Amino acid sequence: MAHKRREMLVDPLVDNNPITLQVLGICSALAVTSSMQVALVMTIAVTFVTAFASMFISIIRNHIPGSIRIIVQMVIIASLVILVDQILKAYAFEISKTLSVFVGLIITNCIVMGRAEAFAMKNPPIDSFIDGVGNGLGYGLILMLVGFIRELFGSGSLFGVTIFETVNNGGWYVPNGMLLLPPSAFFIIGLIIWAFRAWKPAQVEEREYKIQTVDAH
Amino acid sequence: MSDEQQQDASKGPIGRFLAQPADSISKTIFVAVAVCLVASMVVSAAAVALRPLQEVNALKDKQINILQVAGVYDPEEDVVEAFAAFEPHVLELATGEFTDAFDATTFDDRAAADDPELSVELEDDPAGIGRQSKFVTVYLLRDEAGSIDKVVLPIYGYGLWSTLYGYIALENNGNDIYGLQFYEHGETPGLGAEVDNPLWKAQWNGKKLEDEDEILQINVSKAVTPAGPDYHVDALAGATLTSDGVHNLVNFWMGEAGFSLFLDNLKAGNV
Amino acid sequence: MGLRNFFDRIEPHFEKGGKWEKYFPLYEMVESFAFTPKTVTTAAPHARSYIDMKRIMTYVVLATIPCILMALYNTGYQTNLAIAEFGPSGWRASIIEFLRIGFNPANPFANMMHGLMYFLPIYITTLVAGGICEVIFATVRKHEVNEGFLVTSMLYTLILPATTPLWQVALGIIFGVIIGKEVFGGTGKNFLNPALTGRAFLYFAYPAQLSGDSVWVPVDGFTGATALAVTAADGVQELAAHGITWWDSFLGFIPGSLGETSTVAALLGLAFLLMTKIANYRMVVGCLGGMIGFSLLLNWIGSDTNPMFAMPWYWHLVLGGYAFGLVFMVTEPVSGSHTNLGRYIYGALIGFMVVMIRVINPAFPEGMMLAILFGNVFAPLIDYFVVQANIKRRAKRHV
Repeated sequence: MAHKRREMLVDPLVDNNPITLQVLGICSALAVTSSMQVALVMTIAVTFVTAFASMFISIIRNHIPGSIRIIVQMVIIASLVILVDQILKAYAFEISKTLSVFVGLIITNCIVMGRAEAFAMKNPPIDSFIDGVGNGLGYGLILMLVGFIRELFGSGSLFGVTIFETVNNGGWYVPNGMLLLPPSAFFIIGLIIWAFRAWKPAQVEEREYKIQTVDAH
Repeated sequence: MSDEQQQDASKGPIGRFLAQPADSISKTIFVAVAVCLVASMVVSAAAVALRPLQEVNALKDKQINILQVAGVYDPEEDVVEAFAAFEPHVLELATGEFTDAFDATTFDDRAAADDPELSVELEDDPAGIGRQSKFVTVYLLRDEAGSIDKVVLPIYGYGLWSTLYGYIALENNGNDIYGLQFYEHGETPGLGAEVDNPLWKAQWNGKKLEDEDEILQINVSKAVTPAGPDYHVDALAGATLTSDGVHNLVNFWMGEAGFSLFLDNLKAGNV
Repeated sequence: MGLRNFFDRIEPHFEKGGKWEKYFPLYEMVESFAFTPKTVTTAAPHARSYIDMKRIMTYVVLATIPCILMALYNTGYQTNLAIAEFGPSGWRASIIEFLRIGFNPANPFANMMHGLMYFLPIYITTLVAGGICEVIFATVRKHEVNEGFLVTSMLYTLILPATTPLWQVALGIIFGVIIGKEVFGGTGKNFLNPALTGRAFLYFAYPAQLSGDSVWVPVDGFTGATALAVTAADGVQELAAHGITWWDSFLGFIPGSLGETSTVAALLGLAFLLMTKIANYRMVVGCLGGMIGFSLLLNWIGSDTNPMFAMPWYWHLVLGGYAFGLVFMVTEPVSGSHTNLGRYIYGALIGFMVVMIRVINPAFPEGMMLAILFGNVFAPLIDYFVVQANIKRRAKRHV
C-alpha cells in the first residue's frame, strides 16, 4: 500500500505529468510564470486546492448523485479557491496582486476537475488527497521550470534576486523581452514536452495517420 | 456497496437516508442543499474573518506608494506610523481649494470618477481618461515645524494598453518635482513596464514643471527640448506610446484641467 | 573531373557501415552542392520535371541578387550620409580609412564597400550559427542538409537592420531554424517561414535593438524615424518634410532594414520568380488585392485622430517590408496555401492584415512580418476549407 501511495505521489511528476503528458492547466502556466516567486505561490495554491478538493469529494463520493455530480464538484472546488484567494489577500497581499484573477481561475484549471472526476470519485479519501498533492506538484514542477527560464533570461533574476545585472540597471545582460510575454511559455512548455518525450519515448503519442513508405508496397 | 446494504437494518433514520441510492430525488436535493450550505458557510466565514486584514493590506499598499513617491519610505518602519506625517485632503479641482464635504481618509477618487454626480465628461482628453472626478484626494507632508514640505498628487492616464495610476510628489514651491511613481498599470513587460524601473523614476527628481514665464514645459521625449534639461525626462527605450502617455498625463494633470489652480494657491502660500 | 573522382573516392566512408557514417549529411550537402544528385525516386508516382529542390532554391537566391546589391549600396549610402554629419566611428570606419576608400555618399564604390562591411558580418554569422543547427539536426535525424537553408539565411539577413548585434543575429536564426522548421520535421514540413520566425523572435525579444529611431542607420548619434513611424505620427504629407519622396522609397534610398527598402529591386526578383514559375502569381495577386482593397476602404472611412487611415495604397506598397515580403515570403511555397483558390485567399488575408496592423494597431508601425506569419498559420485551414468545398460541390453533382 505504501508503495502504491508513493507511486501516486511520484508518478504525476514526470511519467504522468498533468502539463506535459495530459496538457492540462496550460492557461495559468502561461500567465503566472514570469517570475519564480509567483509560480511558487501558484503551485502551492493549486496543490492545496487539488489535494483538498479531491479529499472532500472522495469523502462524499458515494453520496454524490450522478445528475449533479459536476456541480457538486465545482461547488467544493470553488469554495476552496475562494478560501485560498481570501487567505492570500490577507497574508500575502503583494503576491495576490500579481496573481490577480489567476487565483480565481484555479476553479477552471482542468487539473483540479480532472483529478476529482478521474480519481477522487472512485478512490478513498487519503489516496485521493495524495493523488491531488502529486498532481499539484507535477503541475508545479513544470511551472517552476518555466518560471526559472523566464525569470532568469527575461529579467536576469531568480526569486527577485539579481543574477545577471541588466543593461537598464547599468549591467551587461540584455534581457530577452519575449520571455516576459505570456506566449513565450508556449514555446518553453513545448520544448519541455519535447525533452520529456526524448527522455521517455513511452510518452510519445501514436500517429493519427500512417506515412506510406516504399516498404509498404 | 453490498456491504453497506447489509448494514442497513442496524442504522438509524439518518443512516438509512444516507444509504439510499445517490440518484433518488430526495437525496439529490439533500446533497445539493447540504454541500451549498457547508460551502457558503466556509466561504463567508473566511471572508468575514479575513476582511479586516485585507483592508489593512490594501490601505497599506496605497500608503506605501505615497511614502515611496515622497521618498520617505523605510521598510523597517511601521507604515501606518510613517504615514501619520501625511495630511490627506479632498481637493476641488475647479477652485483649487480643499473641501470638507467628504471625509478625506475614506474618499475614493476612482469611484468618484465613475460617479456622474461627482465627475465631468472630458471634451479635450489628452490623458485618455474619459471622465474626470471633480474632487481628488491629495496628501500634504509637513515638516517638524508644521509647514508644508511636499505635496503628493494623484495622476493617471492612458499609455499603450492600459491606464497608468500613480502619484507625483512636488516640493513646497509647487514647481519642483520630487518624484513620480505608478502603482498600477498593464504596459508591456520589459518595455512600457519600465516605468517602474528605479533608474527611470529617479530622473524625475529635481525636474521643474513650469519655466520662468510660467509655461508648462515638462516633457517626456527622446531628445531634450529647447526649454532645457531641467524640464526633460528621457522617453523609455522602445516604448514610445507609453512614454507619450506619461507625457500627456503629466501635462494634463499639471495643467488647467488638473492641479494648476491648486499649485497657484500653493505658491501663493494659501494652502 | 578531379572533384567527381574525389567525391567518389571518399563516398564509401560516409555510407552505411563506413567509418564516418554519422557524417553522411555533411558529405551529402557538399556533394550535392557541387553535382546533381545521382539517386532518383524509386517509389511511384514518378513525376518528371526539370525542376528539383536544389534548382528552386538556387533560383530564389538568384532572385534576391537585386535586393542584395541595393542592400549593399543603400546601407553604405545611408551610413555615409550620416557620417557626413556625425563623423565616422567604429572598426568598420577604421578599415575604410585604412583602405582609403573614403565616406563620400556620392561615390557608389565607397557606398558598396561600406555596405558590405555591415552585410557580411551579419550574413556570415547567420550562415555559421544556422548552419551548425542544420547540421546537428541532420546528423541526429539522419536527413540531408538541403539548399533551403541558403535561401533562409539570405532572406533573414536582408530583413535585419544593419545595427543588429551579431549575437542577436545568431540567436534569431537558431530560433528560426529550430522552432520555425526543425521541430516540425525540417524543410517541406514547416508551416512557418523560418527566416520570419527568427526575425519575429528578435523583434519581440529585443525590441530596443530592433525597432525605434536609432537602429536603421548604423552611426552613433543618428536618429531618424522610419517612414511608417512618421506617417503614423503626422500623416503621409509630412514625409516630404523628412526628405522622403515616393520615388526614393520606390527605388530604395531610405533608411530601413538591410534589403527591404527597395521596391524596385524586389519587383525585379518577382519578375524572375514568376518567369521561372517558382512564385505562384495567385498569391501575389491576392496579396496586392487585399492590401489595395483594404487601404482604399480605410481611406474612404477616414479618421480624425489616426493619420494612417489616409495612407494611400501606393505608399503602403513602397514603405516598410511590404514589397520584399510580398516577393520572397508570401510566395514561399511550403508555408503558404497549396490550393489555387486558397492561394488567392491566403494572399488577400496577408494583404488585409498588413494594412490592419500598420493602420489600426498602435504598437507596431510595420506589419508585414506579423501579417505573413499570421497568414502562414492560417494557410492549412484555408486549404482545408477549399478542399472541403470542392468535395461538397462534386458530391452534389452525383446526388
